[in-house]
Order: sequence, then structure tokens, then C-alpha cells
Amino acid sequence: MDFRFTDDQLTLAETVRDYLAGTHGPEVLRRLDSEGNRDPAIWQGLVDMGLTALLVPEEHGGLGLGLVEAALIATECGRACLAEPLVDTAFVAVPWLVRRGETAELGAIAAGTRKVALPHVLNPWVADGADEFPGQLLQSVDPLRNLVMFPASGSADPHLLDLGALMSAAQLVGLAEAMLHQATEYAKVRTQFGQPVGAFQGLKHQLASCAVAVEFAKPALWRAAGALECLSSNASVHVSHAKVMATDAAIQTAETAIQVHGAMGYTYEVDLHFWMKRAWALAGAWGDRACHLKRIDQAVIGGTLPIGPEHTFA
Amino acid sequence: MHLEYTPEQQAFRAEVRAWMEAHVPKEPLVTLECREGYDQHVEWERTLASGNWGMVTWPEAYGGRGLDLIQWLIFEEEYFRAGGPNRANQNGIFLLGPTIMEFGTEEQKARFLPPMARGEVIWAQAWSEPGAGSDMAAIQSKAVRDGDHYVITGQKTWSSRAAFADWGFGIFRTDPDSKRHKGLTFILFDLNSPGITRRPIRQLHGDTGFAELFFDEVRVPVENCLAGEGEGWNVAMATAGFERGLMLRSPGRFQATAKRLVELYRAHEAEAPPAAREAVVQAWMQAQAYAWNTYAVAARIMAGGKIGAEASLNKIFWSELDRAMHRTAMQILGAHAELKRFGNGQINQWLEGYIFSLSGPIYAGSNEVQRNIIAERLLGLPRVGAG
Repeated sequence: MDFRFTDDQLTLAETVRDYLAGTHGPEVLRRLDSEGNRDPAIWQGLVDMGLTALLVPEEHGGLGLGLVEAALIATECGRACLAEPLVDTAFVAVPWLVRRGETAELGAIAAGTRKVALPHVLNPWVADGADEFPGQLLQSVDPLRNLVMFPASGSADPHLLDLGALMSAAQLVGLAEAMLHQATEYAKVRTQFGQPVGAFQGLKHQLASCAVAVEFAKPALWRAAGALECLSSNASVHVSHAKVMATDAAIQTAETAIQVHGAMGYTYEVDLHFWMKRAWALAGAWGDRACHLKRIDQAVIGGTLPIGPEHTFA
Repeated sequence: MHLEYTPEQQAFRAEVRAWMEAHVPKEPLVTLECREGYDQHVEWERTLASGNWGMVTWPEAYGGRGLDLIQWLIFEEEYFRAGGPNRANQNGIFLLGPTIMEFGTEEQKARFLPPMARGEVIWAQAWSEPGAGSDMAAIQSKAVRDGDHYVITGQKTWSSRAAFADWGFGIFRTDPDSKRHKGLTFILFDLNSPGITRRPIRQLHGDTGFAELFFDEVRVPVENCLAGEGEGWNVAMATAGFERGLMLRSPGRFQATAKRLVELYRAHEAEAPPAAREAVVQAWMQAQAYAWNTYAVAARIMAGGKIGAEASLNKIFWSELDRAMHRTAMQILGAHAELKRFGNGQINQWLEGYIFSLSGPIYAGSNEVQRNIIAERLLGLPRVGAG
């Protein structure tokens, strides 16, 4: 029993975090917002980092790593508000295809020449799916999301839902941490009444409450990643648990962050809105709050999951 | 990340489970906050000690079993699974014990720890004073050096367990010219020393769990001072860290409450308010998240890490979770919630628990103080009053 990441996992996450911090700052989001949302150079950078190959088995030219590593990196993608469809392609579609034994395109995905968007019946859209599923384009509140209407049919596979929900939860945790950081930094430099507004307990306590919410969403996320990676029988409940806690932490942090920014937070000029809108989008993606609460409810109140102190890792 | 128990850990769980099933009282004990209940709980401490379960993580030389933190978590899970009573000696074993382990001399460890583990000496804490609650550095009670003794004069209040306990610990001002955090010393004292008057304070629920302590020239031997004169603040902060951090509120307690809440909801599903259903699901989610977080922290500590200001995140989380769970139970119970005993004679433990849960966000440093600590030490916001 050792609920920690390995040094290799932490180093991997740190490397991706540093790379994205250096190459994918708010100015990039603003450029994408005004120039068409996707940039092959950004995608190529992710490919060169090996991220599209992360979950592809080694015999298909990939790195053969697992969902824990992928969730760690998805968290970094959330932190950077990454717009390129890395998570959907490499961390949702790849493990789903591998599990189904559909290996034909894995090499191309690993090489970065193939992006995969998967329709799921719970999503009324397909993100970055217009090439494969031509149809009516839908406009998201998130200016960096490209949505096309759900095609006539899609998968209803709960495993695909679990993968999508887990990776959404991971991104939501990263988004929440980024928004908490932005709000905190703003509160340090914005002065009113002769002092930084962050010295006022009215703001401090709101930000501290966000820190608590994010801190305790994380163990649920890592529990879910570990459970889904080894396909444990209760993995779906853990994924739903992670999605609900990550969503709640992200929405609370988004609302707090705009409040801390005051009127500036209501402008397009402050970067916060990119992160906030992504959080709104992912909150409903791959099973909304109601859907995931229901799955937990059925397990916990419905009695299909053993509960109590002796069942911590049920 | 390895989320399986080893065969040794599973065997240990089975051992604890068997012992608890054989020894945990079948009927809930009377509340710890009155004489009768206190005596019952002290007797339970001695029963635990008879099985060598007093404090499993301590070295064998001090009355423990020398177990690691994962084994401790397993022990706690089984303890609460079996419905084990609250620990009468929690101020001793969870707060003072670790503090003595870190700051005490070998002589002090040998003198104080084994009787603590055996439940023979029950400890009270004496931090707060009438003018020093959240602002603990405002402490005024004095300890004046006189040869081999300190002479203590002053007043402490809201001292948990002090109405009935044997010994107490607290910080006192040993340098009369000092201010705030300086000049304080951590001193252990026999609550039956001449010059100490205990005045039990009647609490919200009508019982007397804590007390005021009046010190009138109480003579305490110098060897009862922990970590040297003037070091009191640092020692007390370490104790507070233990209090907020890993040990005082192990996850099993909240997982057991969450499970009871689920069962309560199932029994009253038809008449429960609509919002209670999600609150019950949230209770399970949060108790589990707290448990997993504790396992993660334990693994880090076992690998040489420390728990610092993040203990404040823990303290807020478990105290507000506990209050929310009991509030939900009260809502589910509806008109029955106010009854101290139900019509069938059973004690309304949800009511007792709800009242107790209201103290959680206050003791061990109020949650407002914890939020300041998080904001200032974890997030790096300017200190209160800084320009």
C-alpha cells in the first residue's frame, strides 16, 4: 500500500508542466482566439514531447505508459488551458482502441499524424470532430473549443465514458489550480484601501476554501486513475467520484477567482475567462454532474459498493 | 502507486478485527463529558492497553507496538468499524505523546509515555486563557522560576478533559518582560497539585467536558518543562500540527459516520428531504477523499516527508465534513431530531454528534485561523494587517 506517485511520474509531469508554461502562455490563447483556434506548431510540439505516443503500446511505436501518467499530464493540459485535442486523442481514444483491440491507427496516432474524435451518446457534440463527422458546427462558450453536432450515432460504451470523464476530471483539477494561482497572484498586487486586497480576510478565506476543495478533489482523481488503469470492478464509481469533486472544485474556484478579480475579472482583457470557460465546458462533458452523482448514488445508497472504514480501497 | 495491502497488512487487519469484535463494548458508552461516561472511557483505555493497543505506532519501549502509519490506519479503520469509543486520552496519545517524542529528554519519554499508552494517566490540555483563544500568543499565565521549581499563577479555560483528567499540559509565560510568542515555556503539571482549582464548565449539551483552571502559586518541578525555557511557542506549534494533522481525526471515524448516515437515509428514504440524498452521497465522497488523502500523506511521511501548513487543509475539511454529516442526519430525523432519547429508549447519537461537531470548526485552532494559515503560508498572501 503506497498511495504516491513514482519519481518518474512526477518528473514526467514536471517536464510537461515546464514545457507548457514556457510555450503555451495566455498570449498563445489570445493568438489562437483571434487566428483560428488550432496551430500545427503547437500540436507538433506535443508530438515531439512523445505525448501522442504516451499510451500507445510499445509494439505499436508508443511509450506504453498508463492512465495514471496520462491523468497527470491531462492535469497539466488543464493548467495550461491547452486547446489542441491531445487529451481526447491520446488519453481517451487510444486506451479505448487498445482495449477493443483496434490497433490499426495506433502508429499514426503515436506519430501525430492522426487525431481521433469519438462521439459518445452522452455528449451532444463531438469536440474537434468536424473532419470525421461533417455536420452542423456548434459554438461553445469556450472560444477555443471546436464542436460539431453529435452525429446520427455514437458509442454508448461505459468504458469510453469512464476514460473521457477521468481525463475531464484531471483537466478540471489543473484548471482549478491555475485559476486559484491567478486569483492569488492578482490579490497580491491589486491594492485598495492602501493595501493588497489579498491581505483582507474576506478574500483570503474564499481562496483558502478553494485550496481545500482542490486539495481533496485530487485524492479522488488519483484513486480513480489507479482504479481505471487496473480495471478494478468499482472503477466507474471512482471515476464519477473524481468527476464530481473536480467539477465542484473547479466551479467554486472559477466563481471565487472572478470575484477576487473584481470588475477586472468581468473583462475579456484578464486571462481568467479562458480557464473559467473551459471549466464550464468540461463540467458537462463526458457525463454531467447529475449523471455521475447518479452512478455514485446507485453504488453507495443502492448498496452495490461496500462502504465503511474497512473498505477504504474497495 | 500501489493500492493493495500486503499479506502482512491483511493479517494485521484480521488480528485487530478479531480483538475489537471480542472487546468493544456492545452498548455505546455514556458520553465522555460526564463523570460516569469518563470513568467508562478510562476503563476502555485500560482494556485497550491490556491488548497492547494503546498507541500502536509508538516504540515498544514506550508501550507501543512500533508499527508504521499504514498499520496505524488499518488499526483505526478496524477500531471505527467495530464502533470503538472515543479515546479518553486523545490529548495525551495524539497530541502530547508525539510532542514528547520529538522534544522530550529520554528521562521524560520513559516517565510520561508508558503510563499514557497504558491509559493510567489521562491528560488534559490547557492552552486557552480568557483573553487568549484564537490569539494564543496573548497568554498571560506566569511561571516564575524559584530554585528547582516554577511557581505558576494565572488562569486557563476551555481545557478539554480537565474536569476529570490526571495531568495537564500548556504554555506559560516564564519571562515576565516578554511579549507575544517569546518567553513562553511548555510545562506539564499534575492537575491535583496544591494551588490548582478546577471549575468544570457546563457545555452546550449540559455536561461538563472542559473546565477552567485557576493556578494560585502552583509549584511544578523544573524537570516538567519540555524543550527548555522560552521554547514554548515552537513546541506548542508542533503540538498543534499534530492536532490538526494526521493523528487526531483519523479517517475511519468519518467513514463510519458516513456509513451510518447512508443507513439512516435508507431507513427514512420516504420522508427525507430531497436535498438529503445528495448530501448523503457527498458525505461518502468526502469521507473517502479524506481517507485517500490520509493514505497519501502517510506514505509521504513514511518516505521522510513532513506535514506542515497543509495540516490546516485537513482540519477544515474533516471538521466541516463532520458538521455537514450530522446536520444532514438531523434533517433526515426531522421531528425526532430534538429527542435526547428516542421513544424506544435509545440515545440519539446523531444529536450528541451534531452538538459535538459544532466544536470541530472551533477547537484545534478555529477554522478562521486555519484559513488565514492556508492563505498566508500555502498561497503566500500578505499577513493580516500588513500594508
